[in-house]
Amino acid sequence: MISLRNVTKYYPSRLGNQYIFKNVSFDIPTDRNVAILGANGSGKSTLFRLIAASEYTNEGEISTELSVSWPVALAAGVHPKMTGRENTRFIGRINGVANLSAYEERVLEFSELGAKFDLPVQSYSSGMRPRLAFACSINIDFDVYLIDEVTSVGDTKFRSRAKQALVEKSKEAKVIMVSHDMSEIRLFCESAIIIEKGKLYYYEDLDEGIKKYQSL
Amino acid sequence: MSSTTVLKRSNWEIWKDVIFALLMREVRTGFNDKLGISWAVINPLLFIIALAFLRGLINGEETHTLSTFTFMAVGILFIQGFLQILNGTVQAVSKNKSLYSFRQVQPISSIIAALIFETLVKLFTLLGVGVFMYYMGIEIQMDNALLFLLCLFSVIVLAASLGLFFSILEMYISEVKKVRQLATRPLFFISAVFFSLQDIPKEYWKFLDWNPILHAIELARYGASFSYGNEGVSLQFLLLTTLTLLFGGLAVYNAFWKMAVSR
Repeated sequence: MISLRNVTKYYPSRLGNQYIFKNVSFDIPTDRNVAILGANGSGKSTLFRLIAASEYTNEGEISTELSVSWPVALAAGVHPKMTGRENTRFIGRINGVANLSAYEERVLEFSELGAKFDLPVQSYSSGMRPRLAFACSINIDFDVYLIDEVTSVGDTKFRSRAKQALVEKSKEAKVIMVSHDMSEIRLFCESAIIIEKGKLYYYEDLDEGIKKYQSL
Repeated sequence: MSSTTVLKRSNWEIWKDVIFALLMREVRTGFNDKLGISWAVINPLLFIIALAFLRGLINGEETHTLSTFTFMAVGILFIQGFLQILNGTVQAVSKNKSLYSFRQVQPISSIIAALIFETLVKLFTLLGVGVFMYYMGIEIQMDNALLFLLCLFSVIVLAASLGLFFSILEMYISEVKKVRQLATRPLFFISAVFFSLQDIPKEYWKFLDWNPILHAIELARYGASFSYGNEGVSLQFLLLTTLTLLFGGLAVYNAFWKMAVSR
């Protein structure tokens, strides 16, 4: 469980503070795969980044006993001038991976980048970068993976591999996912959280959540 | 799928790992062209030779009892060290912005990594200049090596403290970057790099002696040779200014970094 207590988050702007969340208390269940749904700008990514401690709340607290991944977005934290392997080592080092070379090999195998793994990331196609990012994340053991649109970019083959990996992982680990692609969400998730006007609503049944989301 | 063992690390170990990883990243991306790190020696060396030649036209091989080459080498290495560490640390914070998504990486880790990187490059440059002096038969004087090192150390800390301060400030107000670039430009001329404080009439000292870098450069020359003299400069002023700015930089960082990463 990830619990939000009196969380307030705003971004300062020319028009004054733009509040994303105002005094929100909520428990995000982590015994199932959860989709986060909401319109553009409703705060999905902000919630994501707060859970991952990539950003900090203005007030209130977010706490969990679990190990949470970084928000695996399209190419976050990947240096375009470094090779896939160097980027992998960097991510491994930061996250305290014990055996870096074994980790490298697993990422290589999972991402199926082949020889491109030893070329700078800037030479990758737009579908290959998220494959690297996803492979780096899924090959580290977290309790909760935060996945942001990543799986929707890969080709069919990669998507089925991602799905298979997540299904395998889901014995010990769970996913919190942001995506606008409903087929993607149906593939991975069981429940949904809808963000609307700074409030969070939990729907245990995914279809009910999607129906509600589409009627917004 | 086989699993990856993730080490349970103490805070200290996380810091160590993160700074090491960032340092590797700097090393990997810092020298991209074919000249590589050798440029870090060649560039200042050419600069020193050119300026020592100019200065030599004015007063021959010795400047205030110090060999003109040594005089210029100290000045240029110190001022370039200061500017490169200041710019390097400030740039590192904005350059690594996407890495703060990893909760283990904080802006100060990129400042420390950039500081270590720039310092290593500068020590390499210092070594290169020393080797050059040895082969050219220029006498290497060192009457008080500790004083020399202390001056070098305080210029490094000074630059990093200002780097800390400016990197946070520039996340809030991007115009500060332009002000910083403008403000650091005259430093070369007011820090006793080309003209010693002794070349300047005493009644004008008050316009220059607020600048701790000037104190560091003059004291480092004094450390190289006592006969150079240390009139008008004070180690106490240098160290106290450094300490004050370090405290100020850390205080600003501590108060604002969490909000700064959201920007």
